[in-house]
Amino acid sequence: MVQTCQLILWELMIPTVVGILFFNVDKCSGKLPFLWMSGQMLLWAVFQLVCVPFTLAQVDFVYLAWTYGILTGILLIAAVVTGRAKFSLLLAGRELKRNRKDLLLWGIFWALLLFQLIQAVRMTYGDGDDAYYVAMTTITNDAGTMYRKLPYTGGATELDVRHGLAPFPIWIAFLAEASGLESATTVHIAVPLMLIAMTYGIFYLIGGKLFAGKSGQLPVFLIFTELLVLFGDYSYYTAENFMIARSRQGKAALGNIVIPALFLMLIVLLEHWQEKKKLTLRYWVLLCCVMITGCLCSTLGALLCCMLTGVTALCGAVTYRRWKELVFVGICFIPCAAFALLYLIQN
Amino acid sequence: MWSDVITLFREYMGTGLIVIWFLLSLVYLWIREKRKHFRILFVYVPVILLLLFFNPLFARIVYGAVGNEIYYRILWLLPITLTIAFAGADIYGQLRGRTKYVFAVCAAVLIMVSGSFVYNNPYFRKAENRYHVPQSVVDICDAIEVEGREVTAVFPAELLQYVRQYSGKVCMPYGREILVERWTHLNDLYDVMEAEVIDAESLTRKAREQACNYIILPADKEILGNLADYHFERFGETGGYVIYRDGDW
Repeated sequence: MVQTCQLILWELMIPTVVGILFFNVDKCSGKLPFLWMSGQMLLWAVFQLVCVPFTLAQVDFVYLAWTYGILTGILLIAAVVTGRAKFSLLLAGRELKRNRKDLLLWGIFWALLLFQLIQAVRMTYGDGDDAYYVAMTTITNDAGTMYRKLPYTGGATELDVRHGLAPFPIWIAFLAEASGLESATTVHIAVPLMLIAMTYGIFYLIGGKLFAGKSGQLPVFLIFTELLVLFGDYSYYTAENFMIARSRQGKAALGNIVIPALFLMLIVLLEHWQEKKKLTLRYWVLLCCVMITGCLCSTLGALLCCMLTGVTALCGAVTYRRWKELVFVGICFIPCAAFALLYLIQN
Repeated sequence: MWSDVITLFREYMGTGLIVIWFLLSLVYLWIREKRKHFRILFVYVPVILLLLFFNPLFARIVYGAVGNEIYYRILWLLPITLTIAFAGADIYGQLRGRTKYVFAVCAAVLIMVSGSFVYNNPYFRKAENRYHVPQSVVDICDAIEVEGREVTAVFPAELLQYVRQYSGKVCMPYGREILVERWTHLNDLYDVMEAEVIDAESLTRKAREQACNYIILPADKEILGNLADYHFERFGETGGYVIYRDGDW
């Protein structure tokens, strides 16, 4: 019970409170899913920026856990001091009231979501890659080292820099350490529950943008996304397959959380450009955090995030003649470029 | 290179129906969607990304940097789910009365028929415990773990990928890498372990050579000779597997 509470604290409550730091990013930033997503993106980005140097310096996990824990505490205090929680909760409540007439559609959405969450606990998918990624989390918790033991066998090895640049399994190890749950349970149950719920939270925010002022279409949009995910096993490679079957792996988080979150951020970007509004500094920080999170999830994350952001920003700049703001987009690329460069040097 | 990319795209599409709905949705939004910023993100950007994906020069650069195995992930940038759902919900919003509900049901059925239900995937099974690894792995690891140190055990192929997910304290002479053909890992002990009939002398000798403290064998495995003759004592049996412990350890 205590472990479950600690897990809820680390997976839901802390990120949501930290998300208050991004309160003024956009109209939708007062909604609970946005606070949760943005706070978690900031925490993931911080984790990536701390973990990679610690891994390369071959520092033990315990020091990383303490450093990250302290940084999380600082961000939490900063968010509480900013103190806009009451207002954001009010906004979220208002949204729920407005949608009451579509209760049946929302009921179907929640039922399908609940089904997926129950299945994430009840069912298991035998994926060979877990022998690497899940074992890496387990080793980190058991031995306290990061990427210095062979996950398949347990023998000592030279630092595995290639995987160490995308240390999503180490973040899960931190979650296990902080919650007190066993590594395997954290990986196979706690993380999928969080990631699946967060994916739909992001879809909800995107739907809110697409169907602003047409609340009846939002639940239909979400139900369609759920069906497309549930019936997304038409090939082994789809992001939807990864989301349900391999949700504990960083690449699944990349395809189903980071890329949709990036879509949301790019909608906000283009919306502001269209309305000739200025984007706040916090927007650019959050965009940068989402892109860094892409690097945390997968070594290919840097390329994918830069591709999507780059192509969209260029199209937007051409359409709205906002050339100057491409400089900010370029600045957001810097961390991704640095991680990509490290990857290329090591290979 | 071009044919590799085409093959990859074909494999990604599966039956191809969902991708067809995606392309139709793209056309629908191109015609119907008037808000510029959504046109950029849901029409122009996916088209540019598709052109990049099929560009042999781009493919060559990415293949060179990250290898050919994960090139398909560029397709994750195509908002297939979002675009189809966007177009579907938009059409739903255009309709009035009973027609909109008929459309919603038909669209839902079409998605279900075009795709494949993820839980029907043969790799899905009911979890046996909260660790989501076979219970036999949990029982074996709990039995052989020693407080404060690592132990080495050799496991049958079907358990290899689970052991170290559950316990970082149980080491193995070989792991999942031995099962991936294209990685061409070889191990004499693996060949002996997976033989139809196990030679006790050969198995114990090779297990000792690779510092194994335990040997785990399926209870119904045929063994030529007796492991006890070579100082590997029967330590226990659980979940259809027999655990042998090195008596000289």
